Amino acid sequence: MSLRAPLARKNMAESKQTPDANTGIPEYEYIDVNTKPFHVGSFRDEWLARLRPEDFSFQQEDEETFEANFAAEMGLGADTMAELKSACSIDSLRCHPEDEQLSMDDVPSNPRLKTLIQRKRKQERASSHNIHKNRHDFYADELERLTIGRPPEMGADRIPKGEVLLTINIYHPAVYEKFNFTRPCMTLLMTGSHTLTELRDAICCISDLQVCGEFSKTPDVAPDFISKDHFKSAFFFFEGVFYNDMRFPECQDISITTVEWAKAHNFPQYSQAKMEDTRFVDLKVKVGFPYLYCHQGECEHIIIITDVRLFHKTDCLDKNLYPLLTHKHRSLTQKCAVCHVFIARWYTTNDQFAPSDPCLFCDQCFRILHYDTEGNKLGQFFAFPYTDRGAFN
Amino acid sequence: MFMNVSLQTSTADDAIFPRQSQCFRPAALLCKSLKRRGCFGRCGGFVGRFRRGVVPVSSSQMDASHKHVKADCEALLARFQQTQSVRFEVFANIWREMKFSQIFRGVVKHEKRAFCHLVLNTAYCYFLPPFSFQIRVGGLYLLYSLYYTQTASPSEQIHLALKDWEEVKKFENNAIDAQHMDAVYILRHLMFCKAFRFTAMPTLLCFQTNKVKERSVLREEFIERASRPQELISSGLLEEMSNVSDLYENMKASVLSQMTTPGDSSFNLIRKDLVSQLSGTVQEFYNWQREKETFDENENSQEDTSQKVCSNRAELLASIKSKAFGEAPETLKSRRHRRVEMNSTTEASAALLNQGYTRILKQSLRKRTRDALLLSGEFPTDFRLKHVRLTQTAGVSVVTRGLAAAEYVETFQRSLRSSIRFRCV
Ligand SMILES: [Zn+2]
Ligand SMILES: [Zn+2]
Repeated sequence: MSLRAPLARKNMAESKQTPDANTGIPEYEYIDVNTKPFHVGSFRDEWLARLRPEDFSFQQEDEETFEANFAAEMGLGADTMAELKSACSIDSLRCHPEDEQLSMDDVPSNPRLKTLIQRKRKQERASSHNIHKNRHDFYADELERLTIGRPPEMGADRIPKGEVLLTINIYHPAVYEKFNFTRPCMTLLMTGSHTLTELRDAICCISDLQVCGEFSKTPDVAPDFISKDHFKSAFFFFEGVFYNDMRFPECQDISITTVEWAKAHNFPQYSQAKMEDTRFVDLKVKVGFPYLYCHQGECEHIIIITDVRLFHKTDCLDKNLYPLLTHKHRSLTQKCAVCHVFIARWYTTNDQFAPSDPCLFCDQCFRILHYDTEGNKLGQFFAFPYTDRGAFN
Repeated sequence: MFMNVSLQTSTADDAIFPRQSQCFRPAALLCKSLKRRGCFGRCGGFVGRFRRGVVPVSSSQMDASHKHVKADCEALLARFQQTQSVRFEVFANIWREMKFSQIFRGVVKHEKRAFCHLVLNTAYCYFLPPFSFQIRVGGLYLLYSLYYTQTASPSEQIHLALKDWEEVKKFENNAIDAQHMDAVYILRHLMFCKAFRFTAMPTLLCFQTNKVKERSVLREEFIERASRPQELISSGLLEEMSNVSDLYENMKASVLSQMTTPGDSSFNLIRKDLVSQLSGTVQEFYNWQREKETFDENENSQEDTSQKVCSNRAELLASIKSKAFGEAPETLKSRRHRRVEMNSTTEASAALLNQGYTRILKQSLRKRTRDALLLSGEFPTDFRLKHVRLTQTAGVSVVTRGLAAAEYVETFQRSLRSSIRFRCV
């Protein structure tokens, strides 16, 4: 054969890659892992250009109209159409007698489908070994269940049709040696017209609530020193661009160090933009790719946009409910060393009353143990306000 | 700075519903036990260690079920493939026999949505290339059936990726051309019911690099036979090539005529018969592929090899005109959803098919042939026209497509460039 096959394959692969990288058509960079970068706004436009308005409207078309249109377009007579409809009927898929009421909650006996055989085996194993149920999973889609299928609200608060919806996972600060992607800290749904600052404000992180300093003499004023109110700078990093929060006068461009370092070391150039001026539709991103959110100077979160799509009529269509939290990880919490009931609020060192150094106390136990009834400090110790990661549960 | 902290941990719910026995245990005792376990980190950043190696149950279970769901879908599709039909009734029969609706039974409540998504996403793969037309029809029916029998409420939608849209449209057009009205109706019905979500990608992506390998295994029998050469060397491409070639020849002639000193007319970068040679090669390959196929089949069935003798052109014509991607007899038998008037060529090809040539015409080749193969002989004009239209919409990209074509084009360009340089000298 005179055609050279390997060359053919190579050229095919090359020609399949769209020549202009600026399209809004996402392609895989790594299959089932992440896409190549694309522009969210053009992605929306590409979809809208392909679809008929009724395909993405939130109204349900009338069935008779649909059938009439179909018959007309295909040139089918009424008889043929009726025959076609009955041939394609969903009733023909029923696997049991019509009058039989089935419980969908149990696996049928003697299943033949592999999925069912495996499911049955698993259930038997679970009941014989009394496998511990993971509470996280049980609550995992609790929020989703609450938000899915909310009746569309009419009026100005309704999401306009053709809007894009982004699903965004925010992960815990990466403080473990081996980062575990499997369970996001929270999952948010955002619309294309949201700005990045709206995402920022929706992210709750305990380091925003932290209080720095030693407060053993004045435990009551500690709440006035919450980090969030003092250190307002933050940035997102997407595709070589740092998006800085510059809404307040005390905000600083904390990305400048990195940008200049990269410049000095012959790295690819990074650029900067304002978080508050950037909407999601303006972004160029890879879906599935880990990006960065940095606040409090060093608290770094991984952010992954897991999905971008057009709004569907079953989505929550009330604008005011976005950013919409669909998943919240329930963190493990540290309890008070005394009562072991309440979440710890104080962290003490050099504490003569504590059995360990350092030690954790809830607010109540801390005060009873370390202060007299007038609120005077007893003995020697250092006390630091402690914010538990479970504070947002 | 963060130390390994393994304080006794419990979820927040324990704080609300404390275990009675643990209330108000003496602090000293408790803290001793804490100390023994080695606690505590730095000020203000006291972070409990995340339980390492804990994979969420639901996601690991979904991974496990994916394998089985895939196996079940493939079992159904394999049976559908055996029937050599693309009728929904045939599909529904197999569905009922396998009691496929039961696949949703016994799913734990909080996993319902995830499982429905998994099932729909698994079926979605079969609706797309590289699977053969028949498998894709089966994939569509699978999507339709699963969508309407699912247990999630409200329904989980099918994620349709933007990159796949074009394939879906092509599929729809093919099905309309072949008058497979049940397939078209079902696709349109899903669209009408808003069963699709128009997404960037078919699944949620969260950079899970470990899951990739297992998913990428494709079932060999479902995939269409390779026909790249036919695809690459389309009539449009050859037309363009011959145009460029003519242009080049003219240019070369004019350059040579303008030269004051007599140029070397033996200067030849391009063979004169390039286009016809190329098409000849593809023809040769196609014949070889087909002969091999027929040979294999005959070996299996001990049939008379004289069948091969039938004329290529007639066969091709039949394959083009029959437009049937499923087994020909099937599509002829049940013409129920076709338009009543059928043109005479189809009848002719039907006659041809009934004469025992059907086994030679394998569905995948037939489709490929119709779409892309160029033969040096004459074509039915409508076929030719369709090709011209296709290549026109595809535009210049056709030229840059593929192997030999690309090489030849490159040579063309190089020689054009050199001829321009020629002129400047
Ligand atoms: Zn943080
Ligand atoms: Zn306490």
